Amino acid sequence: MQKILPLILLFSLLFLTGCVQNVKSWEKGTLAKETMKDGGTNKLLNKFEEHIYYSKEASKGGNGIAGGGCGCN
Amino acid sequence: MQLKKLSLFTITALAVTTLQAEDYVSVQVMQYNESNDRAEITAPHLEINKDFGTDYTLNVGFVADALSGASPTYHDSSSGASAYSRGTTTQQNVVYGPVDYEENRAAVNVSLTKRFDNRDELTTGLAYSSESDFYSFEGSAEYLHWLGESKNQAISFGAAYQANEILIKECIENSDCDTSSSASKKMTADVLNTQLGFTQVIDKDSVAKVAIFMSIEDGYLTNPYMNIVRNYNTQPYITAEKRPDERTSYGLTLKYIRSLNDQLTLHTKYRYYSDDWKINSHTLNLDSYYELTSDWTLGAGLRYYTQSEADFYNGNKAFFTDQKYASSDERLSDFDAITYKFNADYRLSKKINLNFGANYYDQGDYFDATYFTVGAKYRF
Repeated sequence: MQKILPLILLFSLLFLTGCVQNVKSWEKGTLAKETMKDGGTNKLLNKFEEHIYYSKEASKGGNGIAGGGCGCN
Repeated sequence: MQLKKLSLFTITALAVTTLQAEDYVSVQVMQYNESNDRAEITAPHLEINKDFGTDYTLNVGFVADALSGASPTYHDSSSGASAYSRGTTTQQNVVYGPVDYEENRAAVNVSLTKRFDNRDELTTGLAYSSESDFYSFEGSAEYLHWLGESKNQAISFGAAYQANEILIKECIENSDCDTSSSASKKMTADVLNTQLGFTQVIDKDSVAKVAIFMSIEDGYLTNPYMNIVRNYNTQPYITAEKRPDERTSYGLTLKYIRSLNDQLTLHTKYRYYSDDWKINSHTLNLDSYYELTSDWTLGAGLRYYTQSEADFYNGNKAFFTDQKYASSDERLSDFDAITYKFNADYRLSKKINLNFGANYYDQGDYFDATYFTVGAKYRF
């Protein structure tokens, strides 16, 4: 856990410092683009990918809470 | 209708971190192949997304996997290459190699998102998955709350509960069955997943997310097809592996999405994971999207993953004697993996998009795999 503390601090600083701007609703055109979607432009591709990693690696989680079970441990 | 689309777009622009508002049907097929014929998977997937006014969105998904191949595990070569080739044997007959399997999986998931007057969102979902030896039912709920009028910050909390039923098809030489017969036995496992997230719009071109997650698993977490060898140096005995009946894991994800210019967008994601089986992992994901023309969007990505081994894992056939928990499943070992990703999205018409993907996954000494995807999205 100690290894990731710097990353957490970096993100916290990002939020708390002047990096964060008060973006108005009419300035959010870029943020609303397909390519800015969390998970990319194709949600189903992400599901496939996560399913592969779930069945081939020992870690899971961090990609939302819903997903359904799989007998592929 | 036009008015509805306009208002939904406005909401989408405001609430950039949530569901994009649109009605569509998406079809996707994946073909996955591992080296040395270890696994071959064909997976068609259908998704339907439908808005009801500006306050409700229904999402339904179906997937049907067909799997076949051969997983490596210890078995007694004198009684054939099967996961059930177990029992007392000789050192010469202890073999680590592929045993054939075949499986079909069908899964369905439904979710409904409700948006309140302040545009907070509640998403509830159900999921069901069925295989010949595994059934799973899941219920989930997630609430997203906007902080402030400008909607540049949001917090979310979600929980999902999963009830799983596992069928041990043949109990032979399996301590969980307490029998030497080939009878079958049903086992259960419950899973509780929770996640707390915080989203922050950094500026008009970037957004960041941080989330912590925790999972508690309780029940039969063993793989009934994976074997180990006990007492190899004295009297080799091949038996089913045994994992702890509980597992608690937690972790953290950090995401940063930035539009570098009108054409190029970069997604960066890091995940830290840790559990009480002593597995720790780090995952770094970099994805980029390049809008080549108004019709073509190209994507390229790189993922690096590394994990430490479980405290009850050992791949050496001469290691285990009378340990309570023991597994030689490679997936619980110490390894690194890398994925190279490429995909292209083509806008055929105002309503139809086509996409193609080619990916390569390399898990070092164990195996590598290629998987291809092709799909279409129809907006209505």
